[in-house]
Order: sequence, then structure tokens, then C-alpha cells
Amino acid sequence: MSARELLPIAPPGRTWAMLWSEVRVTPWLGVATVLTAVGASAGGLVAPWVLGVMVDDIAGGAGQDAAVRAAVVIGVVAVVTGVLTGLSAALLSRLGETVLARLRERVLDRILRLPAPTLDRVGTGDLLSRVGDDVSVATTALVTTGPQLVGALLTIVLTAGGMLALDWRLGLAGLVAAPMYVLAVRWYLPRSGPFYARERVAVGERAEAMVSSLQSVATVRAYRLEGAHTAAVRERSLAAVDLSIGVFRLVARLVGRMNRAELVGLATILVTGFLLVRADAVTVGATTAAALYFHRLFNPIGAVIFEFDQVQAAGASLARLVGVAELDRPGPVGETREPVDGRLEIEGVTHRYGDGPLVLDGVGAVIAPGERLAVVGSTGAGKTTLAAIAAGLLDPVAGRVCLGGVPVGELDRGRHIAMLSQEVHVFSGSLVADLRLARADASVEQVREALALVGAADWVRALPAGIDTVVGENAHRLTAAQAQQLALARLVLADPTVAILDEATAEAGSAGARELERAALAATRGRTTLVVAHRLTQAELADRVLVLEHGRVVETGTHAELVAAGGRYAELWRSWTGSGSRG
Amino acid sequence: MRELTGGRLLRRSLARHRGRLLGGAVLVCGHQVAEALVPVMIGVIIDRAVGTGDLPALVWWVLALCALFGALTVCWRVGTRHLVVAEQREAHQLRVEVVERVLDPRGHRTGMRAGEVLQVATSDAERSAEVVHGVSLGAAALVALAVSATALLTVDVPLGLTVVVGVPVLVAGLQLLSPLLTRRSTAAQESAGETTALATDLVRGVRALRGIGAQDNAAETYRASSRGTLRASLRAATTNGVYLGITTAASGLFLAVVAGFAGWIALAGRITVGELVAVVGLAQFVAEPVRLLGTAGQLLARARASAARLARVLTAPAVLSPGTRTEVLAAGVALRGVGYRTLDGLDLELGPGETVGVVAYDQRDSDALLELLAGAVPATDHTGRVEVGGVPVGELDLDTVRAAVLVEQHDVALFEGTLRDNLLAGAERPPEAVTAAVAAAAADDILAAHPDGLDRSVTDRGTTLSGGQRQRIGLARALAADPSVLVLYEPTTAVDTVTEERIAEGIARVRAHASTLLVTASPALLAVADRVLVLDGGRVTASGTHADLAQSDPRYRAAVLR
Repeated sequence: MSARELLPIAPPGRTWAMLWSEVRVTPWLGVATVLTAVGASAGGLVAPWVLGVMVDDIAGGAGQDAAVRAAVVIGVVAVVTGVLTGLSAALLSRLGETVLARLRERVLDRILRLPAPTLDRVGTGDLLSRVGDDVSVATTALVTTGPQLVGALLTIVLTAGGMLALDWRLGLAGLVAAPMYVLAVRWYLPRSGPFYARERVAVGERAEAMVSSLQSVATVRAYRLEGAHTAAVRERSLAAVDLSIGVFRLVARLVGRMNRAELVGLATILVTGFLLVRADAVTVGATTAAALYFHRLFNPIGAVIFEFDQVQAAGASLARLVGVAELDRPGPVGETREPVDGRLEIEGVTHRYGDGPLVLDGVGAVIAPGERLAVVGSTGAGKTTLAAIAAGLLDPVAGRVCLGGVPVGELDRGRHIAMLSQEVHVFSGSLVADLRLARADASVEQVREALALVGAADWVRALPAGIDTVVGENAHRLTAAQAQQLALARLVLADPTVAILDEATAEAGSAGARELERAALAATRGRTTLVVAHRLTQAELADRVLVLEHGRVVETGTHAELVAAGGRYAELWRSWTGSGSRG
Repeated sequence: MRELTGGRLLRRSLARHRGRLLGGAVLVCGHQVAEALVPVMIGVIIDRAVGTGDLPALVWWVLALCALFGALTVCWRVGTRHLVVAEQREAHQLRVEVVERVLDPRGHRTGMRAGEVLQVATSDAERSAEVVHGVSLGAAALVALAVSATALLTVDVPLGLTVVVGVPVLVAGLQLLSPLLTRRSTAAQESAGETTALATDLVRGVRALRGIGAQDNAAETYRASSRGTLRASLRAATTNGVYLGITTAASGLFLAVVAGFAGWIALAGRITVGELVAVVGLAQFVAEPVRLLGTAGQLLARARASAARLARVLTAPAVLSPGTRTEVLAAGVALRGVGYRTLDGLDLELGPGETVGVVAYDQRDSDALLELLAGAVPATDHTGRVEVGGVPVGELDLDTVRAAVLVEQHDVALFEGTLRDNLLAGAERPPEAVTAAVAAAAADDILAAHPDGLDRSVTDRGTTLSGGQRQRIGLARALAADPSVLVLYEPTTAVDTVTEERIAEGIARVRAHASTLLVTASPALLAVADRVLVLDGGRVTASGTHADLAQSDPRYRAAVLR
């Protein structure tokens, strides 16, 4: 297995530029957010300063009305600060949520339009983590961590400013602690990063061991593996426990360093204040205010240091989102053209994946409007590749495919050609919503007709809520055959000129497979159809059969002609029917 | 022993780590006291040294500040470490206990779906262990409150009472707002969850969407959902802003009252400047333990709920009460007049060395049959008799049953490891046996296609293999285990006809000496069976060779022939 390719990740510069351009969409919101946040943080500076003044008033023997004045000032500022805090929090969330909503919509849009070869090279895991985890992590960061961090940083900066404004020497005394904090963080980050990464891996492995054992209980019991699996869970759980305790030790040492910085800062301010008061350079009140300022920095500094990991994680997620959002939106270049009729022409199509061997070698075929062509061949003959190229989902190395005289690349492909692949998916949600993905404006009547056409009317009627039944992974589970019928019903609603079918029918069992063949026939009647025949009965029902071997066309003709000709197809047919009636 | 309930489980958790818990809690309480004393100490230094200019006093009190910080940091580090270790170990113990219980071959009657059991084993074990954290946090908060209250009341009784009564009233008042806040944020989180689920669902179905050109509709559907989430989030953000604003304003106003009151009596000379600073500092600090008490309450409530679910799994009665006999009389299995679920008087005998095909017109019949053969149904849940090797299955020891009969599930579950690990399934087998089984399952191309061969690594559930590859590896594993009775359920649905033929021959070859039951509609497999039983309406309605049935019975022909 070669390593999976990853979707692009934006460099930091691009990420910031993208966020900045998003913020500039609503400039007033950005400005209002900044002003209220600064105001809210500044409001916190007033109370310690007023207390400092009060301390001096007491020393100066002022009247008791000074206390009333102080209380009124603190109270009024408290109300104003409350209003500003509320406003800034709401505005900051609004800004973050709006930017993120636009970002996630663009990311999904680009992923839905990724070219087929890219989709195949990129693992589903990467796609899912971009629209899932990355969006969640970025949301938490922008909505929860971000505002807290902004608030904490503003408080730190403004408080440091406040201390300097109180008296520059007291301010400097407080700043003595700054390098200690910086050193503590610089000691911590390079150690914690790898530790956290290992812990995450260990926790992931533990979860995987548990999920794997518990999801496959029947197999574990059948092979008497319960002892081995419990031992594996125990071992991984212990490994994760050790790492978690290890991470805690690191955090504990960081906290120790932070406590040391707090002590040094506080003691320096008090000693400096003592000396300055003795020299009559500052008042006792100013020293009190400085000490209280410093004391109220403990929490915001802790917040900044401990949120740092989250900020890094959020930065990584944002870069992964922006990387996808900035992909070009693919589509036909220039004007699209309309096909004159439903004739599908495949001309000299040759294809290989990367620099691998030739998968298709000069394959040509013409399917008349409304004709049904079956492609037959053993596994690895290139049937699925041919289907994807005919559907315009894959560009061949050489040759071309035209519909009604127009190359597929110049068509509005989605409107004219539909392809059902082997990967069947039931979209979570109501059945009718699933089907409306094919045609958004389909009426309930049209949806019912499509279901009836593919023979699904009966079981759909039997569902708890009919076509409004919620289906999908966590709701009503459909059988493989029902899921295929749903896919065919979507095709009917999409109403394309050309239908390409490459479905697997084996899972449905023999009787089910025959039912699906009937449904496929009904769904494609009147359309130009190419069927990849996984079962020879599908070929038998087609107007014409094309036999593919090692990427080349070896035979074409009607079923009867080919059986009579006694070539490769006749041989396959004998083996097929023989297996059925042997005994 | 008394029945384990959620409450008892939590008490057991605490008792298991009582040493660490006690030591940790005492130290964390010490830390809270030290935190409470920091503003007091600032006040004292202002009062005794800065205000007086007394140098020896400064030196002594700064040393005292150092000692306070030393105690603060040591208490936190050592105390929290004990608690973290206790909590982590308890979570580990609970996790292993629940996994052991769930994997127990006797089964469990919890009435929970598989997903729920998984949830219990993963998150409930962890949340339940958080009782350690909750209890110590609560204790520390109470001690901090007591110390603060004492300090405040010592300074001035009316002032102290204002703070001691005012803070809890304030915090409780603000709590009244929190249901609205919770409701809004829960709504926003649910909406965000739905939007994320929609995105992952659309991405999983991206090929289906592109096939019918439905990307535009899909993107539009997502956009609508994303906008809905945005609206819910903005509503929550507004509520949150209002709440934050009110909290900030209310605590500021309370501070104004306390500062005014303390300033008033300080100006009147009733308290010193240092006491003023200490009171204001404590008034701000006290909100912290009050908040911690709330957090501890939430943690304990959550731990209690999780412990109740955990106890339900740990105490769930076993489904099977196996016997003690360890020897069977013969090879083979037999069902006599068995009624279970849709089965109604089923008679089925698989003799030594026989290969029997079973065609069920109703899938529920085959599902019920497989459950019975896997030994997962206790005798009390079905009528009739199920015998393994001539002995009623209920009298046999579980290991004996499982050694005699192997049921390979249709949905093949592979485990993380190498192909070899998976094929051996924890047993020792000679390499030739594995090679023969792999060849019989027509899986040799899977080994040949990869340079590592048998050492090729497999991810959990075999996601790096195709469906057909997984199915064949599962089959090879079952064949390699070489049980005296092997039950296979539709083992060839994901392979092409030519391969299916090869597999049918392979099974006939390696199972010639033993009993094999093939529950399938595949004509290739049925053709190699010695006889075929047709299951309809919960009982056997026809039997004979595949060829005879195919010729004489049109319904059979329709069900199996291609």
C-alpha cells in the first residue's frame, strides 16, 4: 500500500490572509469587537486603582465619604464593564461563527467537487477529518478558546500598562516576572508537544482495541480470543495511563515554575514599593494597587499558557480547512455545449493509472441513443475504468468520449450523464430528502413514481413513516438491495440522457439480484445505457455485448450472436450456466 | 455480596484508592487554603512593612510569603499527582472490568444495544472514575470556604457576614440564569453536531452524488444546515454574552459594596489598611471555591449517572449457564424439534464427515439457526433440543462447545495485526495447514499480491482489504481452525463466479474429513454439499441433493439458480 496523498494544507501566511479577508467582509463588526474587548479589559483596572487611592485616603485621614465615592466609582465602572464584556463576547462569537460557517461551507463544496482521481488518491479518512474534526476543533478555538484568550491577553497587556502608569518603577518590578514566565513556557512547550502527541496516539490505540473487540464480540467468542483481547486492552490502557500520568508530571513542573514566577513578581513589587515608600517616591496606596494588579494577573497568565496547546491545534485545523477552501472550483472551462442527441461515442480510449500498466488499450464503442450495451470481462479486465471514463469522471490518457457530438469535458456533465457505482450509500435523513438530492424540486408524487418504477413502492409503504422515514446509519437501516433500489430511484429522478451502471448485485442473493436487474432495466428504459455486467444475466438482457480482456475489446455483438460464435463470451456463458445446473 | 449499584460502585472506587485519595485531598485542601492566604499576606505586608517602613518586618514577612508559596506549590503538585494517579488507575480498572464482562463467552443480558455497551466501556468508565476528582474538589472547596469565612469574620463580624452570606447568594442567583444558557448552548451544539454529521455523510457518499451530478443539491443542503447552525450558535452567543455581562457587572457591584463597607470602617479606624486589602482580596477569592463546589457537584452527578450504567453492565446476568461436561460422544450437531424466534419445530442433523447445505427462504430463519449453532442461546430460550456430539449443549462446558463448533460470521471481523495473526486467530498451527486453508479459500492471490505475504499488516476490521479479500481471509481463518463442525454463512457473496467455483472445490477438499454446514443460496457451494435442506416457515420443508432439488422444485430453482 502506497502512502495516501493528503489534501493541501495552507501555509500560515495564507491562513491568516484568508481569516483577515473574511473579517474585512464586515469591517464594522471587527472594529466594534476590538473596541468593546479593549474597553471590557480596561474596566477591570479601575477597582485596584480605586483601592490604592482609598489606602492613601486612610493614611491621609480623609472623611468616610471617600469610601462612598470609591464604592460608587467601582459600581458604575462595574456596570459599564459588564455591558462591554457582554457585548465583546457576543460580537467575538458572532465574528468567529460567521467566518467559520462560510469556511466550512466552502470546504464541503470543494470536497464534493474534487476530481475523481484526486478522490481515489486521497483517503476517505483525510476527507472526513477535514469536514468533521477540523471543523469542530476550529469552532471550539474560534468560539470558546479564542475569546478567552483574547480577553486574557488584553487583560495582561492593559494591566502591565496600568502598573507602569501607576509608577514606572513598580511596573518594572512586576515585569521582572515576565522572563520567568517566558522561560517556563519555553521549557514546557518542546517537551509537552511530543508527550501530548504520544498520549493522543496511546489513547487512540486504547480506544481502537476496545472498539475492535467489542464490535466483533461474536468473532472474539467464536475463536475463544476473549483472553487475548482483554490482555490487549489492558496493556494499551496501562500504556495510556502511564503517558497521562507522565503528561501530568510535566504540567506539575510547569505549574511549579509559574508559581515561582508569581512569587518573585509579587515579592519584587512589595519590596520595591517598600523602598519607594521609604524614599517617599510613591504612596502606600500605589504599592497596594500594584500588588493587587499583579495578583489579578495569575489567572489570565495561566489561561494563556494552558490554552497554548489548543491554539496550536486550532491553527493546524484552520490551515487544513483553508487549504481545501482555497482549491479552485473545477467545472467545464468556458461555455458548456448541448449534445444533439443521445449517441455515446467512445473513441480509442487508452488509460493507465500513474505509470502503472495499461488498463485500457484503444477501446472504442458507439452506443446508439436508447441502446443498452453490456461490458463483460473477468476481474481486472478494465470494465470499471471504462465505465468511469465513459461517464466523464476520469480523463483517459488517450482517446475521447463524446455525447451527441460533444466531448464530455465540454458538457454540463451532471445534467446529461449519470453513473451508479459499486459504492452504494444511503444518505442519513428522511427517504424523500435522500431522493431529492437527485432533483431538489421533485414533488412527492414524482418521488413515489420513481420508487414504484424501481419496484421499491411496497417496502417503502411498509416503513414506519413511509417516504418520511428517517434512514441511514443511525436510523432505519436498509438492506443492500433496498439501498441499490434507492440509488436507481435517484437516477430516475436525475433523468439523464445516458446511464452508466456499475453496481454490485451479489450481496442481494440470487432472487434479489434478479429483482434489481428488473429495476435497473426499468430505470434506464429509453436512456443510452452502458452496463458493467457482474452477472451474465445482465448481458443477456442487453441489446449488445462488448467483451473486454486485458484492456482490449475482443468481441462485440448480441448475446445470441456471441453465444453462437463460440468465442470467449460463449466460454464464459457455458461456465456460468454450467455452475447453475451442475449436480 | 450485595448487588452492585451505581452508588456502591462509586464507593468501591473511592475505597480502592483510599490512601491516595485521602492524602491527595488533604494536600489539595492545603493548596486552597494557601491560595486564600495570598491576598491576606499582601495585606499583612502592606500593613506591617510597606506602611511602617520597618525593614526587619519586611524581611520576615517576605520570607513568610516565600513559605506560603512553597506550601502552595508543593501541596498542589503532590496532592494533584496522587489524585491523578488514583483517577487514572481507577478508570483503567473499570475499563478492563467492563471489557472482561462484555467479552465473557457466557454473554450478558443488559438489554443494551452494541453501541451503548461500547459507550459504557469507553466514556462511562472514565466518567465514573472522575468521582475521585469530584470528591476531592468538593472537599478542597469546602475547606477554602471555611478558612476564608474564618479570616473574614476575624477581621470584622458584620463585614465578614456580608461576604460570607453575599457570595453564595450571588453565585446562586447567577445560577438561576444558567438553565437558559444551557438550553441555548445545547441547542447550538446539537445543531452543530447535525451539520457535522451531514458533512461526513455527504462525504461518505460523494461518489454516489457525483455519479448523478447531485453535488450542487448536496452543497445547497449543507449550506442550509450550516446556516441553521449559525443561527442557533448566534442565539447561544447572545445569551452567553448577556450572562457574562450580568456576571461581570454583579460581581463588580458586589466588590463595590464590600470595598465601600470595608473602606468606611477602615476610614473610621475599625480595621487597618492591611485588613482592608485582605478583605477585598478574599471577597474576590471566595467566588472561586463557590464555583468549584458547583463543578464538583456536576462531576459527581455525572459520575453517578455513569456508574449506574456501568453497574448495569457489570452485574448483568449471564445469558448462558453452561454445564461442566468436557467430552462429547461423537462428532456432529443435531437440532431436534427446535422452536426459537421464527424457527418452529426444526429438525436438522449434521453427521460426522458430512457437508450439508441449508437454503432458507426467509433470512430470519437462517439468523436464528446460526445463533443456536453458535451456542449463544440458552436452553430456556428455545424449545426442543440442541445437541453437540450427542450431548445436550447445555450440559457441556463452554470451551468444549466452542472447540467442537465454529460459526464464522457473514460480516467477517478481522483484527489489527498481520495476515498471519488473523489466520491463526491466537492458535498454534503448522504452516502447511495455513497454506492449505488459504488455497482452499482461493485467497493465495492476496498473499502473492503483497511483498510481505503473510506478514502483511491488517488494520482493524481489515479496512485496507477489499470486501472480497476480507471475506476470503475470514473463510481461510475458519478453515485453518479446522473445527470438527464448521458453520459457514454466505461465505462467497463478495467474490466472482470463477473464484466461487474454486472456493466450493476447496471447501470440499479440506473439509472432507469433518462436518460442515453451508448456509447459503450459492449454487456452486450447494453443489458440493452431500445433501441440501430447505428451510421455510421455520422448519425443513424439503431435502435432497442440489441437482435433484434444482430439477424438481421450481421455488428452490428460483431461489438459488443464477
